[in-house]
Amino acid sequence: MSHFLLMVLYAFLVSVFFALLWRSERRDRVRLFLQMFLGLVVGGLAVAWLMFPFPSGPPAPIP
Amino acid sequence: MGAADGSPPASAPAGPQAPPPPSRAAAASEPHAGAPAAPAGVPRGNRYLAAVLAWLVPGLGHVYLGRWLRGAAFCALVSAAAVVGVSLDGKLWRPVAGKPLSYLATPGAMGLGGGYFVLRTGLGYQGDVTAAGYEYGSAFLLTAGLMNVLLVLDAWDVSRGRKR
Repeated sequence: MSHFLLMVLYAFLVSVFFALLWRSERRDRVRLFLQMFLGLVVGGLAVAWLMFPFPSGPPAPIP
Repeated sequence: MGAADGSPPASAPAGPQAPPPPSRAAAASEPHAGAPAAPAGVPRGNRYLAAVLAWLVPGLGHVYLGRWLRGAAFCALVSAAAVVGVSLDGKLWRPVAGKPLSYLATPGAMGLGGGYFVLRTGLGYQGDVTAAGYEYGSAFLLTAGLMNVLLVLDAWDVSRGRKR
């Protein structure tokens, strides 16, 4: 599974969990879910692009 | 207007009057009387048992407190995170001498409750550091444990009547 899909799956599980835990009304739950899910996915992509010019080490050898 | 169009006059006496609301003192003396829906503020169940059940099996504390749907949903979410973590060969934290962070991560992973000990001692699961999804799996497993810790606190609050 790709890194991106794993990140999306992680964001989905965490967002649904906190939407159910912290909100009781359906509309509030949907709103919190969307906020958290988009925040995690878009935030993750933004941080990935910010880190792109600063690799932590030499590139891994291609097998 | 008024009687001419069928609407009652402004001075007409009201119909059967609603009973006056109970006084605060009366409500405090009978916290469980006449509360079929168990609104917030009404304790329910044994809070210690609810917390232990919630820790042992994700969602079981909520099921014990009558929150069947929420309990089932939480069980599915935490179990899904744990299954994904195990399928990726993630790390199931345990204390390691010389690694202080392991002492922080281990209680979080042990938040999985029965699942942690079944994996650790029953199945001998340790994770595989050479697996491609090792880091991701570790994050999923740790997150599952921490989510279950929050469920224990939530079940405690529900049993105390602080939350519906």
